Amino acid sequence: MDELLQEFISETQETLEALAGEVVAWEADPTDRDRLDAIFRFFHTVKGSCGFLNLPRFERLSHAAEDVLAEIRAGKRVADPVTVSAVLGIMDRIAELAEAVAIGAALPHENDDYLIAALTEKDSAAPEEGEAEAAPVAMARTSVAQAAPRTIRLPLSLIDQLMNGVSDMVLARNELSRKLRERSGDPELESAFDRLSTCVADMRDAISKTRMQRVDRLFTAIPRMVRDLGRDLGKRIDLVLEGGDVEMDREMVEMVVDPLTHIVRNSIDHGIETPEKRRALGKPEAGRLKLEARQSGNQIVIEISDDGQGIDARRLVEKGIAAGRLTPESAARMSEAEKLDLIFQPGLSTASAVTAISGRGVGMDVVRANVERIGGTIALDNRPGRGLTIMLRVPLTLTIIPGLIVRAGGLHFAIPRAAVVEILHDNNETLTIAEVGGAKIATIRSVRHSMIDLEEVLGMERVAQTGPRVVMVVRSASGIPFAMGVAAVENHEELVIRPASPLVMATGVYAGMTLPDNGRPMLLLDAAGLANAARLPNIADDQAARRAEETQEAQAAVEMVPALRFEEYSGERRLLKLSLIERVEDIDAGLFGRSGGRGFVRLDGRLVPVVGDHHDFAGEKVAALRLRDGVREACYPVAAVLDIVDMPAVPDMVAMHGLLSGVAVIDGEHLEVINPFALFAALPEEPIAERSGGRCLLADSDDGWTREILAPLLRQAGHEVVMGLPADAEVDPQDVVLFTGAEASQASELLGCRVVHLRATPRPSGPQDGSIYRYDQDALMAALAGSRR
Amino acid sequence: MNQLYLFATLAGTRVAVETREVEAVVKLTDISPVPGMGAHVAGLSALRSRVLTIIDVAALVRGQPTPAEQRGFAIIADISGHSYGLMVDAVYDICQVPEGELPLRGQLDPVWAPYARGLVEHEGQPYLLVSLSGFIDAGVMAQAA
Repeated sequence: MDELLQEFISETQETLEALAGEVVAWEADPTDRDRLDAIFRFFHTVKGSCGFLNLPRFERLSHAAEDVLAEIRAGKRVADPVTVSAVLGIMDRIAELAEAVAIGAALPHENDDYLIAALTEKDSAAPEEGEAEAAPVAMARTSVAQAAPRTIRLPLSLIDQLMNGVSDMVLARNELSRKLRERSGDPELESAFDRLSTCVADMRDAISKTRMQRVDRLFTAIPRMVRDLGRDLGKRIDLVLEGGDVEMDREMVEMVVDPLTHIVRNSIDHGIETPEKRRALGKPEAGRLKLEARQSGNQIVIEISDDGQGIDARRLVEKGIAAGRLTPESAARMSEAEKLDLIFQPGLSTASAVTAISGRGVGMDVVRANVERIGGTIALDNRPGRGLTIMLRVPLTLTIIPGLIVRAGGLHFAIPRAAVVEILHDNNETLTIAEVGGAKIATIRSVRHSMIDLEEVLGMERVAQTGPRVVMVVRSASGIPFAMGVAAVENHEELVIRPASPLVMATGVYAGMTLPDNGRPMLLLDAAGLANAARLPNIADDQAARRAEETQEAQAAVEMVPALRFEEYSGERRLLKLSLIERVEDIDAGLFGRSGGRGFVRLDGRLVPVVGDHHDFAGEKVAALRLRDGVREACYPVAAVLDIVDMPAVPDMVAMHGLLSGVAVIDGEHLEVINPFALFAALPEEPIAERSGGRCLLADSDDGWTREILAPLLRQAGHEVVMGLPADAEVDPQDVVLFTGAEASQASELLGCRVVHLRATPRPSGPQDGSIYRYDQDALMAALAGSRR
Repeated sequence: MNQLYLFATLAGTRVAVETREVEAVVKLTDISPVPGMGAHVAGLSALRSRVLTIIDVAALVRGQPTPAEQRGFAIIADISGHSYGLMVDAVYDICQVPEGELPLRGQLDPVWAPYARGLVEHEGQPYLLVSLSGFIDAGVMAQAA
């Protein structure tokens, strides 16, 4: 009998939860037969079962409700708000009674007659109570209803037992794995062991899934609450629920219910305006409230958005000033986001009047604290006058978090990775640690943090060590980061966190514990708790002032720019501003050439000027920096690219001569800094690649010397060579015509471009002879280059 | 009244514990200390996949921590959902005591007053009847103080 009763109670409770939303939806659309049937079925089942179980009060209540619903089904009555309220009232009472039976308490002694009377009361009295004013909540559930999967009911303790069993199994597996490694490898044994490992891992995953629950459960209470609040406040609300099929940890669902409820209350009470006001503002009368859940990586994002009035940041600031929390000066310096952030300060609320629903100032601060306690974050997107979106991000599960393993005082501790902002060695140049009156202050890149040593806070001996200690910047939930010194950061791991016993939790510095594979329990540090234990000043910081200070400091400090350190062919080490370098490339040595006393390199079908005089490259490949000043590009061959360093924007020693702008000292080494201005100024004004007309037209293409000796020479020097004169007048004024015989001279002059006449003899034939000896390479190149100017 | 009792010496005193409070008695192995705690919490120890909080009862009662090399056995108990190990000097026997719990007689050492619930006689010797959860509650109090 007891078992039957238990079954009945838990079934009733579950159905009730699911039905609350249905009743509200049914009220919005009384013609919805399916919903009406579902509700009717519920009362009918309850009535049937409790007759059998001898629960007269249940029976009476459900019987009354069933009667009314039957009348509605028969069309003799309509589902007006009064009736729906009465039905909801009965459901509430049944829930109360079921709860009492479940815990074996005495049944509450309220009189059920009143409720039943409310139910049978005809509509005649209703309008006078002003009930017509309150509009039903229209609700749309966009998630598609699925066929219910086959389920069984299991006690949670059994699942926990299973979880523990699997954990034991994993530990046993690990031990076995260690033992196997110590012995000689037997491939057969190993493959069998691998199979076992896979099975264990799969099992672990499957068991973890039993802890998951659909977010729907989180949403079940919302429609009812929205309806009731809307009625109380005379507001009309369209509720949209989305993403109810996202799954999250059962415990996490429990933890999110309260913050979510609070946010929804706030949104209805303060956010969404009354229908009259909305009409005046040109908004639709019914306010829109949307709850959306989705999974993003290993987080669940729950978005609550309304189209109400948003947060009035100005009023928040006024309240803050009135409450003495901030000075008008600091308020003036605050950014919009910081002003909004005030809503999370305890005791501040924009509500001008305290209502029963919210506005008592025990609000968003508690919400944020609750969300952060479970490792979540909360963010606001405020659109003044148009609405507010609140985003909750919570981890998928409470039990597995990424964590860092740190060592201090010879022991290992875990710390959630989310709490760690930065990790530095204490010999890092950007970090200075000062001590005054026992207090330690760590200054990291001109930002000052309170500093503690973990050993000191926990009252441990500091173990002497040879290497540098590690300083980590830790951000506690209260939002003020501090620096914490530990001996070393060892590892990072996914940690299965379990609650520590209250005795251990009472210290306030631990958030839980974990059992790593080595079987030695490890404690999880609580960042906020550590800050409290060390009694770090937890000032509600005037952040804007600090930032102003920071920027000033940053300006005073030497401005550093990243630079590439490289070695020249001459062996000198030099620096070049990194921003000028497009990329570093290995270029075939064969692509380099010279023309007119300048080096060029053929890249991607263009000719790119080469910086520097070096042009004999040993080896096949040449390391080169590709530079670009925005318009022009250049190639800078170097012997070796060393590394990227920070150099002062202004060299330590300014010496403007030639290609160099000065000398900078980096890591104690004096390095010459290339002056990009001089570098680009020294390049030919026009990019060679653009001179498409710069062709060498070889008039005597039939001539063997021209074809076999001249053409390759010109090509090697980077010129484009065309054999023979073009048939028509397609000759650019930039082109150069080279000919050896005399006969072409006339024709080419007609073409209107430069002509270079080559002669076979070393001596000119006469003083008028402008020709060049064909083996005088320098003169030839000069003539070609000259023709290009 | 045939209640089963576990007889042990705890902080140098003979005690009896109702067996329904006791889950197991194990030999202590590795204990990872919990820094920042009073001496009455010796540390954490793993028992298969469970993590036990080990209570040094001698430190709790007499304020003298048990030296590491004298750590012997621990009584495992599940108290309000958490697993604890209470360090004992020695464990003798589990017996039924026909006459059951007797009222306290004589002048009790004040340090034991918070824990002693009565007396149990076994083989002609009186044993202090203690409750394990009493030690845990006292531990939490000691921590809060």
